[in-house]
Amino acid sequence: MRFSQSIAPALLFLSGVAQAASSWGFDEGRISVVAKKGGAGVKEKINARTPLSTPVSLGSTDTLKIALTAKDNGQGKRPHQAFLVLKEQDSGLEAPYPLTVKESGQAVVSISHKDLPVQLLHASKPLKASVVIGSFGSAKGLNAPVFDVKLETDPNVPLPAYEKPLRYGKKDEIHHIFKADPKSPPKVISLFFAAAVLATVPVLFVSWVFLGANINHLSKAIGAAPLSHVTFFGSIVAMEFVFFLYYTSWNLFQTLPVIGAVGLVTVLSGTKALGEVQSRRLAGER
Amino acid sequence: MMRSPLLSFFAFLFAALCVSAVSTTGNRVLAILDDVAEKAIYSKFLGDLEGRGFQLTFETPKSESLALFKLGERVYDHVIFFPTKTKGLGPNLTPNILVQFLNANGNILQTLSSGVSTPNSLVSFLSEVGIELPVDRTGLVVDHFSYDTSSAADSHDVLLLPPPAPIRSDIKNLFSAGAAKDQVLAFPRGVGAVLGSSENLTPILRAPRTAYSYNPKEQSEVVDDLFAAGQQLSLVSAFQALNSARLVLLGSAELLQDKWFDADVTKPDGTTHKTFNREFAKRLSAWAFQELGVLRVNWIEHRLNEVGGSNETNPGIYRIKNDVKYTISLSEYAYDKWSAFSVPKNDVLQLEFSMLSPFHRLPLKFDESHSSPEASAYSVSFKLPDQHGIFNFKVNYKRPLLSNMEEKNTVSVRHMAHDEWPRSFVISGAWPWIAGIGATVTGWIAFCALWMYSAPPADYKKESKKTQ
Repeated sequence: MRFSQSIAPALLFLSGVAQAASSWGFDEGRISVVAKKGGAGVKEKINARTPLSTPVSLGSTDTLKIALTAKDNGQGKRPHQAFLVLKEQDSGLEAPYPLTVKESGQAVVSISHKDLPVQLLHASKPLKASVVIGSFGSAKGLNAPVFDVKLETDPNVPLPAYEKPLRYGKKDEIHHIFKADPKSPPKVISLFFAAAVLATVPVLFVSWVFLGANINHLSKAIGAAPLSHVTFFGSIVAMEFVFFLYYTSWNLFQTLPVIGAVGLVTVLSGTKALGEVQSRRLAGER
Repeated sequence: MMRSPLLSFFAFLFAALCVSAVSTTGNRVLAILDDVAEKAIYSKFLGDLEGRGFQLTFETPKSESLALFKLGERVYDHVIFFPTKTKGLGPNLTPNILVQFLNANGNILQTLSSGVSTPNSLVSFLSEVGIELPVDRTGLVVDHFSYDTSSAADSHDVLLLPPPAPIRSDIKNLFSAGAAKDQVLAFPRGVGAVLGSSENLTPILRAPRTAYSYNPKEQSEVVDDLFAAGQQLSLVSAFQALNSARLVLLGSAELLQDKWFDADVTKPDGTTHKTFNREFAKRLSAWAFQELGVLRVNWIEHRLNEVGGSNETNPGIYRIKNDVKYTISLSEYAYDKWSAFSVPKNDVLQLEFSMLSPFHRLPLKFDESHSSPEASAYSVSFKLPDQHGIFNFKVNYKRPLLSNMEEKNTVSVRHMAHDEWPRSFVISGAWPWIAGIGATVTGWIAFCALWMYSAPPADYKKESKKTQ
């Protein structure tokens, strides 16, 4: 205190020289951080010309106290407006704190975490503190950055939740994620197994021949019931052809009547053709 | 040429209609003043309104005949409230009636003045939409850093502000576009308001960082209890309801007075500037009365965008994974004509394809081939999601200072029909199975032939005879 009183005249002189027109300023600017449990906090002097180079830390239970003497052209005087403004650097959001000013211009304000709006508590960068002093009349106002405040949050105490208010604007793009297309195994493997399956046909034929299979009764059967045998065997082949057409191009409603017709032919010709086969069996030829 | 007189008569009628229909919602304006004679001090502003085709009616709050509705219909399309000294506004202008007026698509331009305390009815109405006024219904905004030294050298209550730029980079510049560089807006003896967090509220003009509001009666010596300061203080605020009805709160009625139109003001640094007030008043009233920032959807079209696909416009049904194209044509109104709407620079028009929640949200691009000077088309092509159901093509374009637009076109999206899948022979994994069917068919036919036509082998015959 004594020290600041001793330099006050010097400061007065300086400001008087620097600003010839009537203007607002302050001296004896002091900030202190007082911890709740007592103990010596940080104490710094501030002035309007050079802001403090290092940010002031403010713990969640600490109180930041700012005291200064507002002066109009070096004379202690009460200004109408004496604010400490805290600014969040990213959004530019500002919170003003009016100082309690006496007639003599002595002004003081204390700020703790609970006085800060929730948006400022969530700030990632230090808050910029500036002093705004102005009043009616012709005296020029003062708007000077003085120091930075770094908010120290207690990790054990969660910050009050802040939800951004809804604002109309563009939203994030959404692109639908499609399900993956079904995949086939490598073609070589498919071809190998298809060949393996097809190979069973010759194997079957060869083993039949080996067991003595033949079509020696064909001429006999055709001779006994030529029409029935040709149509019966033909209808079995035709039925497979209908199934092939169903697979390639026909729909069910095209297929069903044709199946009915072919089936009828099979039944009618089959009774005679199979009757002939039976007669051969009864004759002991099979 | 028998028709030509008739045609010209219709053309004349049409022209007459065009001249009278200035706003998109109507031209009947009710101005409420303390004393009808007061309108003389606003003569330029009111003259500008009449010049744009509005029909003005002047009433005092005490008037018996004053009614916003008649037989359930709006009698006026727009209302201007000039500051009135009466504490209440009577039974014809209760907050409830004003809310009804907004609900019925009526627009309100309300002005405040720091010398006159705001009627209770209007304070309650404003709090209904989320605008808060100073507690004692009056306040004065001062700024010791930017004021008019020629008219308020001592009191600092004539604020000089740059013409208001949009509050966000993605908002259309409706109010300061085209302003000369050295023009300033004079905001004399106004009241600042604090806006709630509603998304329908937009500050058109914010107070400068160093300005603050105080009560001149109680806080003339020192500001102990601050209502609001800096950018938190909204000097001109806009509220747009979901039905696009608009409410503008202008903190300073004096801004509209003749003496501030094209006046000369001096900044504290000694430079003299012309005021932007006349143009600002024109644009502000035009916005409030639906002459600016009004959007119209001309047509919407969606169709299949596949080679060889159906060319039907707006079909009711699509299949999953279809490629489709969506196009929307928009126009924007400005004073007397519809013109092509261009999306503001940092903004995007987005299409959502949604069932309950959006599956796609895609930007719509300007489509020159379907656009004209009167309408601009925006389109996007995309693949429908692989999910069947009832979907909406939805364009939900709600932006500050533009009328709300929410367009929904419902379509069914069906799943794949059985014959729309790739055939099994093109799927390599199916080849062994197809080969299996071929083997079975061959085997079956061969077996039938064998069963019917095979003669018993010679040695088998002997054996069977033996057993018999």
